[in-house]
Amino acid sequence: MKSVRNLILHFFIGIFAVLTLIPFAFALNNSFRTNHEIYHAFFGVPASFHGIIESGRLVLQGKEDTTVAFLDDEGEEVQMPAGEALREHWDTATRGYTLGWEILRTYLLNTLFVVVCVAFGTVLSASIAAYILSRYKFPGHRALFYYMIAAMMFPGVLTFVPSFMVVRHLGLLNTYWVMILPYIAGGQVIATYIFKSFFDGLPEDLFESARIDGAGHLQLYGNIVLPLSKPVVSVVIIMSIFGAWNNFIWPFVTLMDGDLHPIASGLYVMATSQYAQNFSTLFSAYMVSSIPLLLLFIYATKPFIEGVTSGAFKA
Amino acid sequence: MEIENQGFLSHRVRYWLGCYALLIIPIGMLSVFVYIPVLWAFIGSLYAFEVGGDSEFLGLTNFIEFLFRDPTTWPSVGNMFFLTGFMVVTRLTMPLIVAKLIFSLTREPSRYFYRVVFLVPIVVPGVAMQLIWAGMIYNDAGMINEFLRAAHDWVQLRGIDIDLEGLTRGWLADPRTALFAVAFVGFPWVGGIDVLIYYAGLSGIPTSVNEAALIEGCTGLRKFFLIDIPMVMSQLKLIMVISLIMGIQMFEGLFIMTRGGPGFRTMVPALWMYFNAFSFQRMGYGCAIGVFLFALIFGCTVLTFRYVRSTEELEGRA
Repeated sequence: MKSVRNLILHFFIGIFAVLTLIPFAFALNNSFRTNHEIYHAFFGVPASFHGIIESGRLVLQGKEDTTVAFLDDEGEEVQMPAGEALREHWDTATRGYTLGWEILRTYLLNTLFVVVCVAFGTVLSASIAAYILSRYKFPGHRALFYYMIAAMMFPGVLTFVPSFMVVRHLGLLNTYWVMILPYIAGGQVIATYIFKSFFDGLPEDLFESARIDGAGHLQLYGNIVLPLSKPVVSVVIIMSIFGAWNNFIWPFVTLMDGDLHPIASGLYVMATSQYAQNFSTLFSAYMVSSIPLLLLFIYATKPFIEGVTSGAFKA
Repeated sequence: MEIENQGFLSHRVRYWLGCYALLIIPIGMLSVFVYIPVLWAFIGSLYAFEVGGDSEFLGLTNFIEFLFRDPTTWPSVGNMFFLTGFMVVTRLTMPLIVAKLIFSLTREPSRYFYRVVFLVPIVVPGVAMQLIWAGMIYNDAGMINEFLRAAHDWVQLRGIDIDLEGLTRGWLADPRTALFAVAFVGFPWVGGIDVLIYYAGLSGIPTSVNEAALIEGCTGLRKFFLIDIPMVMSQLKLIMVISLIMGIQMFEGLFIMTRGGPGFRTMVPALWMYFNAFSFQRMGYGCAIGVFLFALIFGCTVLTFRYVRSTEELEGRA
């Protein structure tokens, strides 16, 4: 009875899972196919995979010189030895990736640089602000805290146009700063709130005993507060990475220099350039652009799921 | 804290100054990159100005033009409400259903496995996902059309006279389907993070409540509607507010997929703001649309918080 019920549940969840993943599965599949294949038959496995297996089998059997037929880009049959055919098939399968990587390399490096700066800057700025606002009493500490979190009230759509004017007046257009500083400034707001709720919950005894041992303010922050707040730090880091990674329209507007684009606007620039109809390359580029976050995901699934499932997300 | 005089500044004042000094950078960045733009948005909406050009004071002319004279306004507001409503409804239902299905599984490893599976798509950049939908699914030679053509051939071979091929079209280019196609992106709308949030709500239901329901014979769909949904109202309310705020502001996806076209069929106010500010050099008018959308978001959020009850409020605890 229980197992029948589980089986039905698996069936329905499986349908949802398949529907969710299908677009990405097709993009992955088509990234290994040539434009010729994609245009002539949308559904199908990469022909070059078949070729790799066929010619690879011959090579492994030591029959490298057996002549096999190879279909070139125009669909014409060429006769060549199996060893050479294997190389040709491999090139066909990975051609999209070679070109996609070549175009995306700059964008990826830009994004990595920006994301590291944003994540580091947000954690530093927000944790210091939250630590001071949570643990020290001075005139206006409450007002400053409200000043900080009231910023959450103003949506991005309100500040989008004037933010452009501000960065233009500061001369930041077309520099990395335009992506780093506004992201830290905006991202630190919610991060400060998260950090402060966490710091407020730390027992005062902890700080008292450290002070008696002669720890200064900086040591309190560096040796006690930061190590204790590791789970919060990782949540803030993941949030700022996803924010900076996915933001498209802001860098698209503020960077005229194509070499500075991060991955999001870079992909759009690529998809509207001369590669617009080159689906094989485009799909490969989409897949390449997903790899860094996939690695992060594999590394951080557990803390991420635990963080979101902790029950803090409700209104 | 003991106070002793050292020099002309007391210990206490120097301690305060230290706090202010450390707060200068966070507060300064916040002021420059958030609060100055906020002020600028309100003030700029009263002017006509270009990037690097002169500005002219207009009073409320920008708002009057947007609300009463611009023929784009009301169709685009309608589109925005349709897309936002669609997003709110799908995000309140689909991930909750999936979370409930996953939660009902008996083995923890399989529950964990499915939570991870639905989370995987977040590694694909949003831009890439929209480009995949526009270029691979809605395209002339895309997935839907190819599927229709294949189905057409299959049906014709069996002598059934249904013209499925006649249904093929550029789904984003056809004025009759563009708006629905845009809303349909992301089907089946099971966002991994939403699933996690609802899952957290479901696992937060006290065992006593579940046992009481079981004893009373309240199971299956009845339990889902009478127990589970009221118990995850806090999560539903959060997702509702988030998707309202996101829906009203959303324009990146439309910019990538349709640029508001065909005609103005998929135009929304936020995208119209972008075009006015950065294509037509009407920064003041753009600011005015931004202020309008801010007022709308503010109103919707207040209404949600006033009229939608969270679990705590339903229980009379808050």
